[in-house]
Amino acid sequence: MKQQDIKTEEKFMSHNAWFSIFMGITLLIISGYPIIGNTSAPLLILGSTAFLGSFLMFVIRGGFTWRMKYHLTYKDEYLNTIDTIAYKHVVLALLFSMGTVYLFSEGLTLHISHSMMATFYLAIMCLVYGISIFWQSRD
Amino acid sequence: MQNNIAKFRKEAGLSQQELADAINVSRKTISTVETNRFTPSVIIALKIARHFNTSVESLFEIEDHD
Repeated sequence: MKQQDIKTEEKFMSHNAWFSIFMGITLLIISGYPIIGNTSAPLLILGSTAFLGSFLMFVIRGGFTWRMKYHLTYKDEYLNTIDTIAYKHVVLALLFSMGTVYLFSEGLTLHISHSMMATFYLAIMCLVYGISIFWQSRD
Repeated sequence: MQNNIAKFRKEAGLSQQELADAINVSRKTISTVETNRFTPSVIIALKIARHFNTSVESLFEIEDHD
């Protein structure tokens, strides 16, 4: 494997982590806003725009072509390891957040829809993935 | 597990990036191995040892609790 490929993978992982954090915050706002504003319409438009914008940025900066060639795993050993560990963190965070919601769900059921909860879980997954990658990448 | 990679690298006058370039890994691999946060595979350990013209045993030291 060429050194240039490894540098590209490193850069790609960093962009991926930023993208996940940005996406996580956007989804968190989308899932929480309807509780405050009693409507999700304006923020859903803003959220969708932010999603598409960040997705395009991710596609361009991540080095994808129109063929959308995707490498399943990172070829560098360390990057591959932290990617795997980040997914484990995501699963743990998802289990904890689902457990917490389960415990406190009685008081929430009247105000929160299934779509809001689904968005909330996605937000947690994205946030934890991005933070985990940055935390593990520290020097 | 302890290792002497940082010592060997500094003696050779190499930066982490230069060592990473020489053995085709990311700089973070070198950084995290040196600080004992990541245990490399045998392949990487052998590559580093070969680069410094030494043995793996002189680079890595196993401890009692490992």
